[in-house]
Parts: sequence; structure tokens; C-alpha cells
Amino acid sequence: MPTALPTMRRNWLVTLRAYPWTYFIGTVATGVLTVGLAYLAFHAIGGGQVSAGFLADGGTGDYLGYVTVGAAALMFATRMVLWVAKAQITEQREGTLESQLLAPARRLPYLVGVGLQAFTTTVAEVAVMLAFAIAIGVRLPAPDPLALLCAIAAVGVAVFGLSVPLSAIMITVGEAHITQNTLFVGMALLCGFTFPPAMLPDPLRWLGEALPLTSGLRALRDAALHHAPVGAVLPDLLICAGLGAVYLAAGLRLLGPAERIAVQRGGAA
Amino acid sequence: MSAAWRVVVAEAFKQHRRIFGTKLVVFSMLVWPVLTLATAYYTILPVTAAPGAAARWPLVADPQRLAAFLAAGALAYTFFFSLVQSAWHFSFERVSGTLEAIFLTPASRLALVIANGSGALVQNAWLFGAFAVAAATATGTLHVAHPGMYLVALAALLVPAIAWGAFLNSLLMFSRDSAFLYTLLDDPLWFVAGVRLPLFALPLWVKAIGLAFPLTTSLAILRGALLDARDASDLGGELALLAALSVVLLALTAVTLRIGERHAQKTGSLQLF
Repeated sequence: MPTALPTMRRNWLVTLRAYPWTYFIGTVATGVLTVGLAYLAFHAIGGGQVSAGFLADGGTGDYLGYVTVGAAALMFATRMVLWVAKAQITEQREGTLESQLLAPARRLPYLVGVGLQAFTTTVAEVAVMLAFAIAIGVRLPAPDPLALLCAIAAVGVAVFGLSVPLSAIMITVGEAHITQNTLFVGMALLCGFTFPPAMLPDPLRWLGEALPLTSGLRALRDAALHHAPVGAVLPDLLICAGLGAVYLAAGLRLLGPAERIAVQRGGAA
Repeated sequence: MSAAWRVVVAEAFKQHRRIFGTKLVVFSMLVWPVLTLATAYYTILPVTAAPGAAARWPLVADPQRLAAFLAAGALAYTFFFSLVQSAWHFSFERVSGTLEAIFLTPASRLALVIANGSGALVQNAWLFGAFAVAAATATGTLHVAHPGMYLVALAALLVPAIAWGAFLNSLLMFSRDSAFLYTLLDDPLWFVAGVRLPLFALPLWVKAIGLAFPLTTSLAILRGALLDARDASDLGGELALLAALSVVLLALTAVTLRIGERHAQKTGSLQLF
């Protein structure tokens, strides 16, 4: 706590003083245009209908609701990763990584502080995208509030967990652009943000199941589109949070050696 | 002319040494576009396989033709986006101080920005181009009226892309913030240009915005020539529009460069970033 809260406060100050508008517009545009694409395709090509395959694999005929929940989750995951996974390489670029390593603060609370601040801003940004979706007529028919909150929390844990090994990779190779974007396009294909993963070939589907967001999305959609109570989504919640915890533990193990390599290499990342 | 040619050769050589075989090219020009293409295909599959969809868009009756339609979109988009990326790199010339040095030489400014863009295009886009040719040959999805249309398609892709790249580079004379390029010209560009949807699915106002971007018309010609066996006379209107757009972009580039240089001479801003 003595580390997490001041880190959160510092990042709030930075955000308020120099809000990264470019990132914000970039990620909101991705979400808005994904929903926009689905909307136009659904009406102009599908004539307001979906294929039998989607009904079976997606478990719903509500294509727009399905894509909207996915686009919101993709935006949430992208923004959280940009904050948490890039926290340490940003420290390195700004020349403060060494000071951070010298300080008697543990890494997990530091990253939790970054994550808490990221969570608050990200939720506000996702709300902007959802407002657009509602404005063009998308409805999330029957959200179960408690299950939805639990699913958001589980996805939060999952994305946080995923960001930590990514941070280790970034400071090890001294590069963020390729690493982060490869994760983004990879998870967009594998995790079922905009289409049911059952449509993918089996090996890709298995690969998707290794990422916690796939089960997280199932829970989110069951809660947002099917009014599923907590009990019904519990298995997916546990898989999602459990996998997230595994990535987190692996990431924390990797951070030490990664920091050593980063310091040995020296210079700006 | 020979002075301008030397600028072109020097820039091409520089871009080759800077870009060729880098990790960024492999990822941003092959891995990401291929994964994004697959995601786009699966995202619209639920509606293109809906009952009655083939009546509205006959192409979707054959999933392979739908994939080819989207792949052509990805190819053209990758070409144009590679120039967004190269303009972003051009802004580094300002940071490293070489932009001012270049503008102290008597080198033709127009030749410089054209050569920078075309050099980057060749180094960047060959990878995805080779992938697209291999994929098209392997799947047999090409329907071409006559062999000459390959050249028309190639020219319709390259000429406006180079004009587009020169124009983006010239814009950076004024702005020190190049991040806006990535923001404005990544997702919105594919949306308005009909990269992942046929143009008939877009609302009129989106189509109107799309027409201002050469990618839209370039892509219409690419798809018409390579996938629908249309010949040059069928595509006359599109070709004329594309030629006009390219000329306008080059003219705008020349004007922007002149105004930008005069502005920089007054403010000394070429050193600032």
C-alpha cells in the first residue's frame, strides 16, 4: 500500500496534466469503427440476420451486442496493457528505472498502483465507446449487474497478469512497439472479441484458450447478453482469474532477470 | 534532372539500409496484416453467411472470393499504410537534426519527399506484395481480362501511393507531432476506403470522405482488374479519377513544401521538435 497508492496518485497527476489524447483517440476509434463496421455489415449485407453457424457458436442472434461487448473488452485490454506493460519501459526511457530499482519498493505494489489508475481511466474511456454504440441503437438486452461486475474484475485481473510478463519482455528487448502490437493483433484473432472462437481452426482455438481473455469474454457476454447469474459464469470467472494469476506469477519471476538485462544493456530503450 | 535523380538514388539507398530486413518490417508489413486480415474475415463471416446475404452481395456466395476481396483490401491498405509509417520515420529527420541539413543543400525538395516515400514503399511493401502474389496464385482467385491489366493494377497501386507518401512527408514540414498520423490514418483510413466492406454498404457521407483518399479508388481498380476481370475501358472513370487525385496530391505537396520551407526560414522551426 505505501507503494501502490502513491504510484496511483503520481499517475493520476501525470494523466491530468498531460493526458495522452493520441492513445485515447486511437483506441476509441478502433472500438467505434469495429462496432460501426459490424453495424453496416449487419444491415447492408446480412439484412439484419446472421448465419446459422453464428447462432450455434455464439449462442445468440444479437450480432451487434456480441461485437459491442467484444469491442469494449478489446479496448479495455488494449488500454490496460498500454499502461501496465509499458510502465517500466517508460521509466527506462525517462531515465528513472535505476532509481526505481534502488528504491526499497516491491515491484507488485508498484504495478498494482499503475494498474488501479489505469483501470479508472480505462473504464471512463470504454464508457465513451459504449455511449457511441448505444447512440447507434445497440442494446445490451439483459445485463446481470453482479455477474457483470465480477466478470469485469476477472478480466481486469487477467489483463493485469498478462501485462507483467509483457513488461519483462519489453525491458529485456528494449522495445515496446512490436511487442505490444503483436499481442494486440494476436489476441484480437484468438480470444473471440468480434466473433466466436469456435469458428477458428482447432489449433488456434486451443491457443486462444491459453489466454485468459477468452474465458473472460465468455463470462462478460453471458452476464451482459444472457442475464446469467454469478453461479452460471463462475467456471469461466475462475479460469480467467486463475490463468491471469499464473501469468502474473510467471511475470513476477521474469521481472528480476529482465531488469538485470535492462540495466546491463543501459542507455535508453 | 540528373540532380533530382541523384537525390532519388541516394534516398533509395538510405531507405534500403535503414529498413530492409528489419524486425519492424516483418511484423508491421506481414505478421500484423495477415492476422488482421484473418480477424476481419471471421468478423464479417456471420453476416455474409446469413440467409439472403448473397442476394445483396453476390460475391459472398463463395467464401474464397470473399477472402480474396478482403485480401486485396489488406494489400492496398498495407501499401498506403507503409507510407504513413514512413512519414512517421521521416519526422525523425527533424529530431536527429538532418532535416535542417538537407534543407541547406540545393537538393530538389519535391524529389526528396517523393524519393523518400517511394524508397520506403519498395522496402516495406515487397514482403506483403510477395505474400499476396503467392496466396493469389495458390488459391487461383485471380480473374484478369488480359495480362496488361496486371500492369494497370500495379500502376494504380504504386503511383497514387507514392503521391500520398510525398504529401504526408510534406505535411510534416509544419507539424512536429507525427503521432497524429498514426491516429488519424490507421483505423479511419480502412473504414472510409472500403477496405473491409464493399462500398455499397457504406453511408453516402462516408463514401464522400473516402473519395478524397486515393486508397479508395486505387482499391476499386485493384479489385476490378484482378478479381472481376474488368479491363481498362471498364475502369476508365476510376483511372481518370485516380490520375487526377495523384496530380492534385503532388501539386499540393509542391505548394506545402514551398510554404513550409518559407515558414521554417522565418521561425527556425526545423531545429525544433
